[in-house]
Amino acid sequence: MNEPTMSLKKYLLAWLGLLGLTLLTTLIAFVNLGVWSTVIQIGIATIMASIVAGFLMHALYEEKIIRIILAGGVIWFLIMITLTLADYASRGWLAFSHR
Amino acid sequence: MSELATLACREQFATPEQQRETATIGMWAFLATEIMMFGGLFTAYTVYRMSHPQGFEAGSADMNILLGSINTAILLTSSLMLAFAEHSAQAGNQRLLSFFLIATIVIGLVFLGIKFTEYYQHFQEHKAPGLWFEDSSPHASSIQMFFVFYFIMTGLHAVHMTVGLGILLVLLFRTFLGTFTAHYHTPIMFGGLYWHFVDIVWIFLYAIFYLPGLHK
Repeated sequence: MNEPTMSLKKYLLAWLGLLGLTLLTTLIAFVNLGVWSTVIQIGIATIMASIVAGFLMHALYEEKIIRIILAGGVIWFLIMITLTLADYASRGWLAFSHR
Repeated sequence: MSELATLACREQFATPEQQRETATIGMWAFLATEIMMFGGLFTAYTVYRMSHPQGFEAGSADMNILLGSINTAILLTSSLMLAFAEHSAQAGNQRLLSFFLIATIVIGLVFLGIKFTEYYQHFQEHKAPGLWFEDSSPHASSIQMFFVFYFIMTGLHAVHMTVGLGILLVLLFRTFLGTFTAHYHTPIMFGGLYWHFVDIVWIFLYAIFYLPGLHK
């Protein structure tokens, strides 16, 4: 496959979207939404990261193998954090007298 | 074969496309290992934030949100400049390529400058963990832990930025030598991949260090 090329317009739109989302997530952070604040902040950060990876890094326009490698990295990270939190978050759920 | 033609397709590859694909896969595999490295730190941060929620919010309230958000915009803009540089390289326009490379380097230096201004402020306010750390709140030790993560993670990010700037300087030098043409500019694209990846890391650092304490 030939090298993916992107139009300047797409780059500009991606950049504007990223700036807009930065402003949005910062403004939302001024409101206390409890645990939802963190969910929204990480959610918006994930959307921004996808824009950077998909458009600026052309992951959307590359061969499938590239997205598989990217998914490999992300999925290993998700496995690591899920299993780690499965331990830490569930401590104290059972009524043992000591941990 | 001329030297430039050799660069575009070394002898072990059948076609320039095959060479580019092989190199691209290698670059992305490297970036996947970078996800792993930062991933470990993000996991550790999550564990500590879950066990010290108030301290981490209080620590985050000490961040300079103005400098932080400006820096985020600056870094995103540097990525745009580098994307333009990649576009110029693909079009074979060496003059624009070197212009946008210089723009990226300058904006990247501004980012690091602002980052170190923030570090300086934290030291002035005795927030840097260690002997000089001072905090009278009941969550002082959790706040110190927050700043341990802050300095290690943004510090590792700053190291990546510095390496990125070095890469960009080499690319700029090679641009002046006339190495990159419309047919061969893979190093420019990979400098871009690395720089944009460091951008992604910052997007998450901004979300976990600057935003949690804003509502206080």
